[in-house]
Amino acid sequence: MTNAMIRVKNVTKSYSRGGETLKVLNGLNLEMDEGRFYALMGPSGSGKTTLLNLVGGLDHPDSGDLFVAGANLSDLDGAELARWRADNVGFVFQGFNLIPVLSARENVELPLSLTGLSRAERKKHAEYALELVGLKDRMNHRPKQLSGGQEQRVAIARALATDPKVLLADEPTGDLDRKSAEQVLDLLVRLNQEFKKTILMVTHDPHAADRAQSIVHLEKGELGRIEHNAPAAAK
Amino acid sequence: MLKLAWRNLIAHPIRSILTSASVCIAILLLCLLRSIVTTLDAGIEAASATRLIVMSSISLFVDMPVSYQQRIEQVDGVDVIGKWQWFGGYYQNPRNFFAQFAVDPEHLFDMYPECQLDEEAKQRFLSTRNGCIIGRKLADDPNFAWKVGDKIPLVGALFPHPDGGAWEFEVCGVYTSSAANFDERTMMFQWKFFEETLRTSGQDPGVGVFVFRCEPGANVERIMGEVTAMFENGPMSVRCAPESEFQRMFISMMGDIPMLLGWIGTAVFVALLLGCVNTMLMAGREQVRDIGIYKALGFDDVTAFRVLVTQSLLLCVIGGAAGIGLTLALKPGIAAAIAAMFPVFIVADETLIFAAVLIVLLGLAAGIVPAWRASRMKPIEALRAEH
Ligand SMILES: Nc1ncnc2c1ncn2[C@@H]1O[C@H](COP(=O)(O)OP(=O)(O)OP(=O)(O)O)[C@@H](O)[C@H]1O
Ligand SMILES: [Mg+2]
Repeated sequence: MTNAMIRVKNVTKSYSRGGETLKVLNGLNLEMDEGRFYALMGPSGSGKTTLLNLVGGLDHPDSGDLFVAGANLSDLDGAELARWRADNVGFVFQGFNLIPVLSARENVELPLSLTGLSRAERKKHAEYALELVGLKDRMNHRPKQLSGGQEQRVAIARALATDPKVLLADEPTGDLDRKSAEQVLDLLVRLNQEFKKTILMVTHDPHAADRAQSIVHLEKGELGRIEHNAPAAAK
Repeated sequence: MLKLAWRNLIAHPIRSILTSASVCIAILLLCLLRSIVTTLDAGIEAASATRLIVMSSISLFVDMPVSYQQRIEQVDGVDVIGKWQWFGGYYQNPRNFFAQFAVDPEHLFDMYPECQLDEEAKQRFLSTRNGCIIGRKLADDPNFAWKVGDKIPLVGALFPHPDGGAWEFEVCGVYTSSAANFDERTMMFQWKFFEETLRTSGQDPGVGVFVFRCEPGANVERIMGEVTAMFENGPMSVRCAPESEFQRMFISMMGDIPMLLGWIGTAVFVALLLGCVNTMLMAGREQVRDIGIYKALGFDDVTAFRVLVTQSLLLCVIGGAAGIGLTLALKPGIAAAIAAMFPVFIVADETLIFAAVLIVLLGLAAGIVPAWRASRMKPIEALRAEH
C-alpha cells in the first residue's frame, strides 16, 4: 500500500440499458505503483474506458473501493470529487479534447483557473506546459487550426498544467497517424521519466503499449495478464 | 466566464446576431407600447379633480342645448361654468390637423390655471370679437408659424361659414401649459363670435361639453347627482363626471387601449422567449462535449450552469440594451409624429427599468433549461456525446 498510486478493490460496475443489465467490471482488483507508465489493453467493450473513468472519479462503481492519489473516492461527494480531480488527475481523451472557442493557451489555462494562481502566473504556467509539448509557437491558435496530433499535445499540456500526480489517457493516439502518434507517445514517456507522473493509457495499439513499462490486459471485466517491459521504454 | 460566453456566441455569428436583433426589436416595441400607456395615463392623472364635465349621455359627439348652462349654474354649489364646442375646422388642408374649440373666455383662465397667458394677451383676447389664443407648440409648428396679430383662416368642416368662405380668427396670444392634460396644440376662440356668426344664417349651435367648478367644500357627489337628475326627462339626458373620469372615458372610446397594448406586449414577450429558448437549446446541445470537458477538468455543476446562463444573459443584454438605446434615440421623432394627438410622449424611467428587468428575466428564462441540463449532466455521458 505504501507506494501504490492507484488501488482498485473488488470493483464492480454495470450499466442498465432498456431493462437489461450489462455487467462491465466484475470484482476487479488491481494495483498500480507511483511513477510507472501503464498501458491498458483489451478487446472493444471489455471495460477499459469504464475503468479509466472510475479511476478518474468521473463515475462511481456499483461496489468496491478505489484509492487514487491518497483518497478513497467513495468518501467524496460530487463537488469534492470535482475538486479532487482538479488537484490530482489530468485527462486526455481520444479526439475532441479541447474547447473549440478557446485558443491553445486558453485551453491549457482553463484548469489553472481552479487554482489560486494569479492571471500572470496562470499564463506563465500555460506557456511553460505548451513549451514542454513543443507547441509554444502555436499557443494563440484555435483547435481548428491545429492538426490532430497537435491537438492531443495541447490536451496533454492541459492535463499537465496543474501538475497532477496521475495522467489518464483514453486512446490518445487512436485517431492519429504513425508520426503524430509517436510524438504523443514520446511525450508521455518523457513525462513519466522526467516528471515521475503515474500514467494510465488505454490503447489498442501494441506499438503504443510497448512504450509503457507495464501492460495490463482486461478481458470481459476481469484482469488478465500483466506484462512488464523490461528496461525503460525510451527509444 | 464572460470571455467564454462571448466566444461561444460569436462562434455562431448569424444566429447570435439574429437572436440579439429580435431581442432589440421586441424591447423597442415593448418600451413604445408601455410609453403609449404612460402617455395616456398622464392625461388622466394630471386631470383636475375640482372640474366637472357635463356631456350628452348618448355620446361626446351629440350636442346639448345652450340653455342648459343657466340651469346647471343654479344648482347649489356650482361656482363657475363654461361651454366648450369642438369646431373641427382645418387650415388650408384637412391634413393640417389640430384641435379648435369655441369657449367662454370669461372664466377660462380662472378655471384652467394650467393655461398660462400674460395679462395683456388675456385682455386682448377678451376684447377681440374674433380673437383666439393658440398653444406654444402650435405657434412653433413650422407648418403654421403663427404669431400674435396674425389672421388665421379656417375652413369650418362641421360648421361652414354662412358666407361660404373661411372663418377668420385673429391671434391674440400664445399660451403655455403647465400640465400634461392641457394640450399646447390647441386653439380656443370666443363662443360669442361663433354663435353670432352662425345665427346670421339661422343656425343655433349646441354645446359639446359644459365644464364647471364647484364651490370649495361643496358635496361633489350630490352636485353630480342633481345635474344628472335635472335633465333625466329630456330633452337631452346628460352624464356628469369629474374631468379625470371624462379623460378615461375619452380614451376608452378608442377601445380599452391599455389592455390591448398589454396583450400585444405579452404576446411579443412570449414569442421572443420562445425564440431565445430555441437558440439556447441549440447552443446547449452543441456544447455538451464542452460541458463534459469542464467537468472532467474539475469544474463543478454550478460552473456548468453558469457557462450557459451567462451566454443567454449576454445575448439578451446586448440586444436589450440596443433596444433601450433605440427607444431613447427614437423618442424625439415619435413625439413629433404623434404631437397632433398627444401633447407629450412620455418614456418613463419605470418603463426603462421594467424593460431592463424583463431583459434579465428573459436571459435567465431562456438559459435555465439548457443550463440546468448541463449542470445535471454526468461527465461520462457528456463525453460520450458526439462519439
Ligand atoms: N453509459 C453507458 N450506458 C450503457 N452502456 C455503456 C455505457 N458506457 C459503456 N457502456 C457499455 O459498457 C461496455 C464497456 O464499455 P467501455 O466503454 O468501458 O469499453 P471499452 O473497453 O472502452 O471499449 P472500446 O475499446 O470500444 O473503447 C460496452 O459494451 C459499452 O457499450
Ligand atoms: Mg473505450
